[in-house]
Formats: sequence, C-alpha cells, structure tokens
Amino acid sequence: MLGITIGVASITAIYALSGGASQIVSNQVDSLGGNIAVVRPGIPAGAGIGQITTLSGSREFASSTLTNNDLATIQQIEGVEAVAPLALLSGAVSGSSPAASGTAIIATTPELAVVNQLELRDGQFLDPAIRLPAAVIGTQLSIDIFGTDQSIGKTVQLRGTGFTVIGILERTNTPINYNGADFDRSVLIEIEDAALISSTSPQLQQINIRSSSVETLGSVIVETNKALLKNHLGEADFVVLSGNEIAEPTSQLFSIIAGVTAAIAAISLLVGGIGVMNIMLVNVSERTREIGIRKAVGASNGDIVWQFLIESLALSVGGGIAGYLVGYGSAFAVSLLLPFDAIFTLEIAGLALGVSLVVGVLFGLYPAYRAARKDPINALRQYD
Amino acid sequence: MAMAAPKIPPVIALTDLRKRFGLGDAEHSVIDGINLTIKKGEFIAIMGPSGCGKTTLLNILGLLDSDIEGGYELNGVSVSSMSRRRQARIRSQQIGFVFQSFNLIPRLSVIENVALPLTYKGLGKVRRLERASDMLRTFHLGEREYYRPHQLSGGQTQRVAIARALVNEPSIILADEPTGNLDSQASHIIMEELSDLHTRGNTIIMVTHNPRLTTYASRVITMIDGTIQKDTKKRAKKTHKKVVT
Repeated sequence: MLGITIGVASITAIYALSGGASQIVSNQVDSLGGNIAVVRPGIPAGAGIGQITTLSGSREFASSTLTNNDLATIQQIEGVEAVAPLALLSGAVSGSSPAASGTAIIATTPELAVVNQLELRDGQFLDPAIRLPAAVIGTQLSIDIFGTDQSIGKTVQLRGTGFTVIGILERTNTPINYNGADFDRSVLIEIEDAALISSTSPQLQQINIRSSSVETLGSVIVETNKALLKNHLGEADFVVLSGNEIAEPTSQLFSIIAGVTAAIAAISLLVGGIGVMNIMLVNVSERTREIGIRKAVGASNGDIVWQFLIESLALSVGGGIAGYLVGYGSAFAVSLLLPFDAIFTLEIAGLALGVSLVVGVLFGLYPAYRAARKDPINALRQYD
Repeated sequence: MAMAAPKIPPVIALTDLRKRFGLGDAEHSVIDGINLTIKKGEFIAIMGPSGCGKTTLLNILGLLDSDIEGGYELNGVSVSSMSRRRQARIRSQQIGFVFQSFNLIPRLSVIENVALPLTYKGLGKVRRLERASDMLRTFHLGEREYYRPHQLSGGQTQRVAIARALVNEPSIILADEPTGNLDSQASHIIMEELSDLHTRGNTIIMVTHNPRLTTYASRVITMIDGTIQKDTKKRAKKTHKKVVT
C-alpha cells in the first residue's frame, strides 16, 4: 500500500507541476488580451513533437522562410494594429563585465513594445529617429553586466560593436515564453542595426501580430495566411498560430517530460502492486478455511473472486487516495520554490484513481483467482 | 378414468457411486460402488469405523466433491450435468452443513456468521441480519448475536452453526459428527435440535461414531471399506426424556 501511495503521489506531483509549467505560456498569451497571433517559419503546427526540436535555439542559424517582405505584407492587412518581427541573434554581449553566454540579442522594430506590451523601467524604447546604434536591455542583464539597473547612456558591446543603452525594460519574470527569449536577460536592437553585427541579413524567427480587437483576430489570421501563401508562391512553409496553439510546443514538451518522469514513477507503482499482491496472497493463504466455509454455505468461485478482488481494490484505492493527497501536498510545497503554481485538474484526480484501480485489479486478480480455485474440502481441513 | 399420482423423485439417488484417490499402484477406492436412495424427511445416521468413507460420502452428497464415478441424482437431476455455479446455488438454497469443528468464521460476529449463506442468495444486508437474528432467537441465542465465536461455549457454537445451516431453509441437512467436540449435555441439546428439525420435515443425514445417537435416526447405514454393509430402517425417537438445565 505504501508503494502505491508513493507511486500515485509521484505521478500526481509530476502532473500537477508540469501542468502548472505548461500553463505559464498560455497565461502569458491570455494576459496580452487574446488578440495576439504569431507567424513562425517552417512546417505547420500539427506536425507535433517534431516542432519541439525546432524551438528558438536551433532556429538561430537556420535559414528562415519569413522575410521582410512578409512583414510588410502583414502590416497592410486590415485589422492589424501592430506587427513586430523577432530575429534572435547570438554572440558575445558585454558591458563592464561580460554577460552569460547565450544571452539573446533580439533584432526587432519599435512596434514590439506595442505588440508585446513591453513596459520600460527607464529611458525609451527603440526609435528609428535615433541615428546611433541603440539598444534596450532587460533589467537583470543590466545588473549582470553593469552592476546596476541604472545603465542609460552606457555602451553595451555586441559582437564587439558598441550600442548605446537607451532604455531598460521593466521586469517581466517570464523566463519561459512564446518569444523564445527571456526579455529580462536580452538585448533588443533595431532590425536595421543587425547588419552592424552580422554579415547576413537577420533571419526572422517569428513575427508577432496584434489585431485591433479580439473579434478581428480570426480574420487577421485568415488574411495573413492567404497573403503569405501568395508571397511564398503557394508553399505553406510558415505557420500562423494564435491562443493556445502558441503554447502548444511548450505544453507538448512539458507533457513529454512529465510522461517520461511519470513512467519512472510508475516503477514504484509496480513495486506497490507487487506488495498488494503479496499481502493478498498471504491473506488468501491465512483464510483458506474461511474460503472453504464460504464455499460450503453456497459461495461460487465468482463470489470468492469478487470478494478478494474488492479487498485488493480497497487496499490499492486507499493507497491511491492517500498518494493523491500526499502528491498534491508535496506539489504545492515544491511550487513555492518555483516560478509557477501546481495546478488542480479533475484529469489528475481521475488519473490517480484510475491508476490505483488498475493496480488493484491487475495485482488482485491472481490472488483472487487462487482463492477461488481452492478445493473446499482441503480448505475446510486447514488447521484441523 | 383416475389420474395417476405424479411420481416424486427421491431426494438423493446414488447408483454405483465410486470415489478413488491416488494414481496407479497408490490408487484406492474410498467409496466403492454404493447404491442408495434417500427419501424426503428421512433422518439417516451413517456409522462406521474411521476411514470407511463416511465423510467423503457426505462431501459428495453436499456437492463439495464432484470428482466422482457413477450416478448421483439430487431431486431427480443428475449432478454430473450441473455446472459449478449451479452446484454452488444448490448448496446455498437446498443444503445446510453442520461440521464437527463448527467452522464459524472467527473474525465475524455470531449474527454475521449466521447471515453468511444469505449473502450468496443475494439478500440485502438488513434483510440478512433480520433473518439471522430471528433464527438465533429460535436457538435461544438472541442475546449472543454480537459475540465472537470464541466467546461461546462448544454447545452454543454448534447451535450457531446449526442456525447458519438452517437460515436458508434448506431441505437437506448434512451433519458431520455434529456432537464430536461436545460433552454429553451439549450433545443432547444438539441432537434434540436435529430431531426437532426432522419432525418438521427436513431430510437429515448425519455421520457419527457414537452408536447412542442412532436412536434419533429413522434409518441407520453402516459402512465398511467404502461400501454399505448394513442399512436398517427403524422408527425415530420422537422425544427424549432427559431434562437439560
């Protein structure tokens, strides 16, 4: 029973936490007002797990199918309020001290502030009117490379080229998000300035679109699809996502991680199940005479199977309920240390109950069958 | 033209019944060709030395052992044609067992033990306990309903076992040495109970070692080496003078 408690507790905790993690991205999209769509290069969504492997990291060096022409096309579509491209560059970033490797350099346009509703802590956002190479940096990055969040006017070196810091972003505290970069630790530069640090034109990893209202989002997506398909000569080498679809690759990734971890936790369920089977076998052995008596007074083999099966189910479901409570307790305790909360869903409760039932039946069947097969005469002779 | 009266089949009809144990050289017959007919309402005492096959015969009659050769008809139906489930249903509805060692389930209370056969008849819990309680009162054990079996005397325990055997209102009572573990006073009470059941029309088949108990029976069968050596019919004792306090 303890094994089942531990197994169900692990599975509950894993799914409660991974569910919470998956919700981060969806919540971000929702909090932006529900009128956000993104265009990503590559195969359409629905290709499933494959998309996970093509998240931002590996896309940086790939040749994107999205072009500046696409950006201009989308801007013309009716109902589009703002459009911003995202081109993730990588390279050494340093101020007074170097930044951690892998710090994202995001080449974009000033409209990103509108699309993503970015707020500034200090200074101003990117502006085409500013002629010198300018950068807006995240608060945490400012602290990391300058030792202060007051770094306006200082120069940040991107691949050896100096950019003047003109703005510090307000903290977003969203390390995991649909843009593929943590704005708290990123450098934002004008897409035209990307040529200063890169010999090739920047590859657009994503185009974020904000429609004028939630109602128009649907038509914007349809129109964007049509226009881009025309631009790409009928080749569907891009995908327009909205709402939960944006979070899907992340959710799938978490689901897979949760699935694999839960499979490992299932080992303790197996051990628990074997424990239940052992208890039931001992039970059957000790109660052999009772089985004989029950058969003598009219119990059929089926009645005996049911009796012992129900007993093993009581053991495993009891363990399962205890495990569910312990699992949630620990999930909430662990979530205090994490940037997201454990979630409560009926699916997890159903999973915990279902798993306990399955374990109870699977591991209770053999002892119950053995009990039913006992010869009543021999059974009545036990301890005679 | 007068109609012929319908022929009532005997409760039990055995034809050349055999039961063997072991294989090859070790094989031996415990029941070796028994022919026996038992009519409704008979009180049969089966006597014989240890190992003569009395208990094996009783187990066969009670459908606990169906691995037999020869014919066994219960109320005109051949047992060999019955499924195990059907046999269990007959045990539940038509047969009541009383054992020498009582065979009550120790972790259940007296009333739960008595109600046990009704579980397999499909009765609800309240109904089961009501009927068990009524049955216990007829055996003057109404005040012991929630005792555990180990808290009762031998005679009381056997009366509980008889109450359990009767709660389903079976037509056949099979008793295997019902007084074997009891002193003479308790034995007398148990035999009076069985005798009373007999007068109410039940068929009783009792295995015993004690020749004095055959005075209660209407028919005494003596077995030796798996065969019936003697089959005596007599008038059953109606009352017993001994007063028990």
